Amino acid sequence: MWINELRIDYHLKDKFDFGLIFPVIILFIFGLTAIYSSTFSNAIAQGNFQKQLIWGIVAVIVFFITYSIPTNTFKQITIPSYFITIFLLIVVLLIGQRISGAKSWLAIGSFGFQPSEFAKLATILMLSKYLSRQNANIDSFKDLSFTLAIGFFPVILILFEPDMGTAFVFIAMILTLIFWKGISVFAMFVVLSPGFVAVSSLFGSYYFFGALLFVIAMLFVFRKDFFFSGSIFAFNLASGFFADYVFKALSTHQQKRIQAFIDPMSDPLGSGYNTIQAKVAIGSGGLFGKGFLEGNQTQLQFIPEQWTDFIYCVIGEEFGFVGAIITIGLFTFLFLRILKIASGSKDEFLSLLSIGILSVYFAHFIINIGMVVGIMPVIGLPLPFISYGGSSLVVNMIMLGILANIYRTRKNYA
Amino acid sequence: MRSEKFASIQRTTIISMIIIISAAVLGFRLFQMQILNQTSYQDKATDNSIKSIEQIPLRGVFYDRNFKLLVNNVPAYTLRITPADYDKKLNSIIETILEVDSGYISNILDQYKNFSKYLPIKIKRGISFDAVAWIEENSLNLPGVDYVVEMHRGYPGGINGSHVFGYLKEISQKQLSKENEYYNQGDNIGNTGVEKTYEKQLRGTKGNKFVIVNSRRKVIDAFNNGSEDIPAVKGNDLILTIETNAQRVAEEEFKGKKGALVAIDPANGDILALVSAPEFDLNEFSYITSKDYLRSLYNDPGKPLFNRAITSIQSPGSTYKVLSAIAALDMGIITTSTTFFCSGGVTFGRFFKCHGVHGNVNVITAIEKSCNSFFYQLILKIGIDNWAKYSRLLGFDSITGIDIGEENAGLIPDEEYYKKRYGPEWPKSIMLSLSIGQGEVSVTPLQLAQYTVLIANKGKGYQPHLVKGFVDRKNNIIIDFVYTELDLGIDQKIFDIVKEGMFLVVNGKGTATHIRYGEYEISGKTGTSQNPHGADHALFIAFAPSDDPKIAIAVLVENVGFGGTHAAPIAKKVIEAYLNSLKKDTPIKNRSITKLENKNVD
Repeated sequence: MWINELRIDYHLKDKFDFGLIFPVIILFIFGLTAIYSSTFSNAIAQGNFQKQLIWGIVAVIVFFITYSIPTNTFKQITIPSYFITIFLLIVVLLIGQRISGAKSWLAIGSFGFQPSEFAKLATILMLSKYLSRQNANIDSFKDLSFTLAIGFFPVILILFEPDMGTAFVFIAMILTLIFWKGISVFAMFVVLSPGFVAVSSLFGSYYFFGALLFVIAMLFVFRKDFFFSGSIFAFNLASGFFADYVFKALSTHQQKRIQAFIDPMSDPLGSGYNTIQAKVAIGSGGLFGKGFLEGNQTQLQFIPEQWTDFIYCVIGEEFGFVGAIITIGLFTFLFLRILKIASGSKDEFLSLLSIGILSVYFAHFIINIGMVVGIMPVIGLPLPFISYGGSSLVVNMIMLGILANIYRTRKNYA
Repeated sequence: MRSEKFASIQRTTIISMIIIISAAVLGFRLFQMQILNQTSYQDKATDNSIKSIEQIPLRGVFYDRNFKLLVNNVPAYTLRITPADYDKKLNSIIETILEVDSGYISNILDQYKNFSKYLPIKIKRGISFDAVAWIEENSLNLPGVDYVVEMHRGYPGGINGSHVFGYLKEISQKQLSKENEYYNQGDNIGNTGVEKTYEKQLRGTKGNKFVIVNSRRKVIDAFNNGSEDIPAVKGNDLILTIETNAQRVAEEEFKGKKGALVAIDPANGDILALVSAPEFDLNEFSYITSKDYLRSLYNDPGKPLFNRAITSIQSPGSTYKVLSAIAALDMGIITTSTTFFCSGGVTFGRFFKCHGVHGNVNVITAIEKSCNSFFYQLILKIGIDNWAKYSRLLGFDSITGIDIGEENAGLIPDEEYYKKRYGPEWPKSIMLSLSIGQGEVSVTPLQLAQYTVLIANKGKGYQPHLVKGFVDRKNNIIIDFVYTELDLGIDQKIFDIVKEGMFLVVNGKGTATHIRYGEYEISGKTGTSQNPHGADHALFIAFAPSDDPKIAIAVLVENVGFGGTHAAPIAKKVIEAYLNSLKKDTPIKNRSITKLENKNVD
């Protein structure tokens, strides 16, 4: 008898990656608990728990759809979905709704969604398709430029909203994809250095010159020909001045936002206020936490809109170190599982797709928790599967469905 | 070309190392915060935190057209209870101190049970100074009980203005979910009248005070000595078009009556007085309104909350005869020499009677004596659709665009309307009733006042309004709103003719000669609106002085009978009050006037 049962079980395991699904289910339950707690004594947000539960049901349905459709479909929808999301990103700039500073919401009747959430997936698909074509050589100037153009076009549109957080996720995703494709160390240096110099220039001229010296040193290490090295240096120099020029052209209000982003303590009652309160919430949680609905930082609403980007401090405060570490453990397990699917896939497109999805999850995870525990600047990004929000949950579950699908069909590709 | 580096073991290892190291860093950071430094964070969480406290700005006040203060802000003490800290055993003693019925507090706390129990709930506004002193003395034994100084509305102008000013109400959960960018639980928002329309002008900008609080939200100290505080900015003060004396006289005249009055300055559309009777007491709304008072308002058969001036629709009665006269003159159907014979009525299907035997009458005499026979015969020549067209031209069948409340557009029936109702062979005799302002035709007192403006001004008028402008405190100037100007494009001579008729109504052998003897020459037209549910409604429209109109007025008194007897004397008193104060009050000097579009009105 038990052998039969085992056989059926084995068969399901073969088609369905429980290692992928279980952590997500538990994370979602953690999220619901934290949303319930953080909205418990808030009149405006009290319906959010029920709303998230409904979104959860929608998300399970879209998960099973993406899980069961033929894998080829992903390749087929790539080009249309990329251009549709680009179109939507332009539309949102024109007629979008401004919610907490960023013009990122499109409303259709009473239903609203963020095109940038969908743009992440569409861009991964597009880049995976481009990089997995026959004869693609990521170290060639042409292919690398095209890859960066595909990836950075939506980033520019998203920066106009402005949504810094999502732009960071895109950058992490593009870098991960070209790395996975097999970019050489030198080409990676060429890609990274202008950004490095540009960001340094915003901190002041010492940082700017320091960064330039570093670039020169690296160029000596790589020993490419003089003309080539020179043009890379010139490009770096230009990007530094350009960043400075753009910064000065911004309004003072925008400049302040960027300054607060570089140094949150320059604005202790704005974004700095949230970080301080979040740290107090987590730190005061202790080993086992204060208990469900017992966290005074959470229940007294010291942190505004805690059910979105700062939700991790509800877990930290009410469930303590144990709860916080289990959450990180579940994420880590999930990430390693996805990495296994990516490296195990025989199809280059699907492998790239998997690693792209991993990079999106991971960027959200590290930026969000890093911000809440005070080791990263304040950038508004939701924590996957945990933060309140329909668009984000649905897109994350579509991506999970894709991963489960790739696992299901892994033997179809020789 | 598939690179051998693609998804290589080295690259997989690098990515897995990044994941594991990141997780480890976060884990270590959590260990450091939650285990090693737990006590220091614990202290911060229990001892103090910076909390921003919202500062509610002073609401803008209202002035009348001569800068007399009408509505201001008065300080009052409000008792609050924070449910999380509160002990329900205290209910009865606090109820005794507040002199309210037992069960009062638990009743309010029940209403707020869906709100945060950590936020204070306002229990009673305007508590006595004795009650404040008692709370101070016993504060240690009264956990979760405190009081704050709050501003409420005061009405020092000596007028009710209940339907003009309107009142504030605590924002509802439904409004809060839509407008949470500015408002918070417990905030007041304009609910009716000018308070509602001009909410965004009046409310000002909220400020923030940063304080250090302990875990129970008790304030310990100001943060950085208040250097980071953002002061609240007072809302803009509005200058109303109301003339206090005219408004006061109008309100007094309507005591014990039902009806409405609207008086407009023909030169600019300013509403000088607007009354809807019965009124209600705005002072009752400036604190938490007692349920008993609200119930008494809802149960009152006179419906005091209903603004009759802009929403009550009645047949205009004989005041509407002037419209037929204008239509016929403009269409060229009649001149002043055209006469119709009045033998005491007209037979058209059945006998339509007049209230006298007027013999041969021309249009001027017909208005003067309000001869029905003349207008019965006239409308048959005008035709119903032309009559409806002129009605619409003079502002009926559509809202006037006044800057308060939900206006009623009324109804002007046309041929299509009757065909729908009675079929293609609709009884044409209906038109005879319409010609004397009876039947389906229905208008608001405001529309009648606007119609009087158009007659007095010979075809010109303005969008009627209650707010002239506001005081820009930053630059210390008065900014006037600009309102739409109307021009009917009808020959001024036509208005001279009907105005002569209206002059004779009062000053000839007309229907309102008893209001003749006074300081000012008044022109007007009486009307009686037949009411199937009871006694007739009295109507009177008028403007004065006859040769240079400074005020146009429409008066409706419900269920009293003939318009000349009951409505005309009220109009006369209000006209006199206004024209007398025009002599006394000099307009405000040094008004730096900047014009601005009024964006508060939809």
